[in-house]
Amino acid sequence: MHRELLAFRPASPSWAISLLTVEPFRIKSAAVKSDGVVLTGVMAELRRRQLPAGGWAALRASVQASVESTSLAALAVGLDDSDEARLAQEFLVRVQNPNGSWPAFSGDDRDGAWVTSLASIALRDIGMAIPARLSGIHWLMKCEGKEGNWFWRWKFLTTDRRVRFDPDKFGWPWIPDTSSWVVPTALAILALRQAPCSCGGLGDIPFRINLGIEMLMDRACRGGGWNAGNGVVYGSTLAPHPDDTAIALLALNNRTEHPVVQASLKWLERTAQTLTAPWSLAWAILALAAHGRAVAALLTSLMDLPHLSGRDDTCTLALVCLAADYPRSLVALGVNL
Amino acid sequence: MIPSRRSFLVGSAALAAGASVSAPFFLPKYHSDRRAKRSRVAILHLDQYSQRIDEVLASALRLFRMAVQGKSVVLKPNLVDYSPRNAINTHPTLVLAAAESFRRMGAKCVIVAEGPGHQRDTQLVLSESGYQESLRADAIPFVDLNRDELVRTQLRASYMRMKSLWLPRTVLEADFMVSMPKIKSHHWAGVTLSMKNMLGTVPGSRYGWPKNILHWNGIQESILDVCATIPVHFVIADGIMAMEGNGPLNGKARPLGKIVLADDPVAADATCARLMGFEPERIVHLREGAKFLGNISPALIDQVGEAVTLPTTPFDVVPEFRHLYAG
Repeated sequence: MHRELLAFRPASPSWAISLLTVEPFRIKSAAVKSDGVVLTGVMAELRRRQLPAGGWAALRASVQASVESTSLAALAVGLDDSDEARLAQEFLVRVQNPNGSWPAFSGDDRDGAWVTSLASIALRDIGMAIPARLSGIHWLMKCEGKEGNWFWRWKFLTTDRRVRFDPDKFGWPWIPDTSSWVVPTALAILALRQAPCSCGGLGDIPFRINLGIEMLMDRACRGGGWNAGNGVVYGSTLAPHPDDTAIALLALNNRTEHPVVQASLKWLERTAQTLTAPWSLAWAILALAAHGRAVAALLTSLMDLPHLSGRDDTCTLALVCLAADYPRSLVALGVNL
Repeated sequence: MIPSRRSFLVGSAALAAGASVSAPFFLPKYHSDRRAKRSRVAILHLDQYSQRIDEVLASALRLFRMAVQGKSVVLKPNLVDYSPRNAINTHPTLVLAAAESFRRMGAKCVIVAEGPGHQRDTQLVLSESGYQESLRADAIPFVDLNRDELVRTQLRASYMRMKSLWLPRTVLEADFMVSMPKIKSHHWAGVTLSMKNMLGTVPGSRYGWPKNILHWNGIQESILDVCATIPVHFVIADGIMAMEGNGPLNGKARPLGKIVLADDPVAADATCARLMGFEPERIVHLREGAKFLGNISPALIDQVGEAVTLPTTPFDVVPEFRHLYAG
C-alpha cells in the first residue's frame, strides 16, 4: 500500500469558490493506492446505498435518510466530482430547516441538531449552497450548550459538582437546550473554521472557536484522550474513546504542541494499533494524519479488516473511504495540513 | 345568607382556576394502567457464566408459559461501553442463551438490539465485549438502535416535559420485548435494572451520546415515560456478576450469583433491589411505576425458584442514594 500526492494546484479563482473556502490550496489529486480491491468494493457499496432522493440512510436496510450518513457519504463520494455527490448536496440543501440548522434525518423536527456542522462541511465548495451554508453557520453561532446561560453555569459551579468540568468553558450540544459535549463541539469548530467570512454578524467566530477549544482542553480525560465529555465523575476517571478522541484532535490540529494534545496523540497512537472496529480506526487515521503521524500501517490494518463493505452502518463505509484518501479528506474537513 | 349573583360568579371562577392549577398534581400522569393482578418472578442461582446457563434458563423460562410462538422477539441487553476491568454489560453468554430459548419456543425471529448511551462506536462495544463473534456464529441479527429508522411516538405518560420521542422502528414493531439489564448501582438513578435499561432505546443519532435530553428532563421521569411507551413483556436480569458503587461504568464488580426472570418489569426490579439490599419503594421510578406499570409489593408477586434473600452487606451506592438502604 502506498499513497501518492500527484499534484497540488491553487484553489479555483472564482469568487464563489473563494468565498466558500479559506485554505489557500487544495490537493487536487491525492490517490491512495491502498488495497484497491477492498476500497473499490467499499466505495461501490456506498454508492449503491444512495437513496433515490440523494441521501443515505444510517443502516443498510433503512430508507430514512440521515444527515450524518449523507454528509459523510457526500464527502467520500465527493472527493472526485460525481453525480452522486451533486445529488447528495442538493438533498442536503433541500432538507435544511428554515432556521438554518439541519435535522438529524429527513422528516425530523425542525429545531436543529448537531449534524448542522457536518452538513455545512459537506457543502463547502458548492456555489449553489452558499446561502444554505451561511445560514447554517449563523445557526451554529446562536447555538450553545446550556452552560452558556449564567443560571446553569452558577448551578454547575455551586450545587452540581458530581461531574468535574469548568462550566465557564462551553461549546455546542447535540441538540438545543442540553449541555455541551465533545463531538458536537469539535465538529462545530471544524465547520466554523471554514466560514467564508466574519461579516454579517459572524464576527464572534474566533471567540466561539477559542471557547470551544478551551472546553475541549477542559473535558479531556486524565492521561489524555476524550470520551463523550465526562472525564471525571464522582472522583472516578472515565476512559477515553478512540473516535471521540480523534474527532477532538481534528479540531485541535493547530494545537499539536499543547500537552493535552500530545498526551491524547500518544494514547490514540497506542490504542489505534489494537482497534478492530473500522469506524474508530478510520477516525484515528484521519486524526493522526492531521497531526503528522505515520498512518500507513494503520491503513493496512483498516483494509485488512474482514467484511468491510458488508458493514451495516453506512457512516462506517464513508469513513473508511475518507481515511483511505486522508490527504484530500482532511482538506475537505477543513484541517490545514 | 344567600350569595349574590356576583359573588357566586366570582366564587365559581376562583374554583375553576384553582382546579385547573391543581389538577396536574392530582390527575395521574399515565394514560393506562398496565398492571397484572399478580406477577411472577424467578430467581435462579448461577455462580458463573458457563454453558450451563442454556439449560437453566430454558427450564426456568418454561415456568412462565409465554406465548411467543410466531412472534418477533427483541432482546435488549445493557451495552454501555466496554472496559476489560469492569462488569459493565449484560454478559453475551446469557443473551445467546435467551435467544436460543426463544427460538426453541417458536419465536418467528429473535433480534438483539441496543443503542449504547456512552460509546458511539457500537461495533467496537460489540467486538470488545465478545458479542460480535457470538452473534455471528449463531446467526442472530443485531440492530444498532442509535441508528435505526425512527418513528415519532407520543409518550404514554407525562412525567417529563416532552410529549413525544423519536423511537426506533425495531423496538416499536416488536411483538415481544425482553429487557435484559445488568444488575448495577447507578450514580444518577440509584439502580439500573430492567426499567432504566429501556433508556437505551432512545436513539443517539437524534438525541446524542449521552442522551443528555433525558438527564435534563429527569432520569426517573424519563424512565417512567419510556417504559410507559414501550411495554416490557419480560425481564431476564444478569446478576451473576453485578456492579456496585459508582455505576454504570466505574463501579466495582460484585458477585451476586443470580439471574432474575419476571413477566413484569416493576416486580423484576423490585426483586433485584431487594437482592441488592435496597427498599424498592425508595426508588422513585419503581414507586411511581407501581402505580401503573407493574407490581412492587411481595404480596402481589408469585416467587418461583429461589426465595429473595437479603445480602449480608448491601450494594454500595454513591452518597446521594444511601437512603435506598432497607431497614
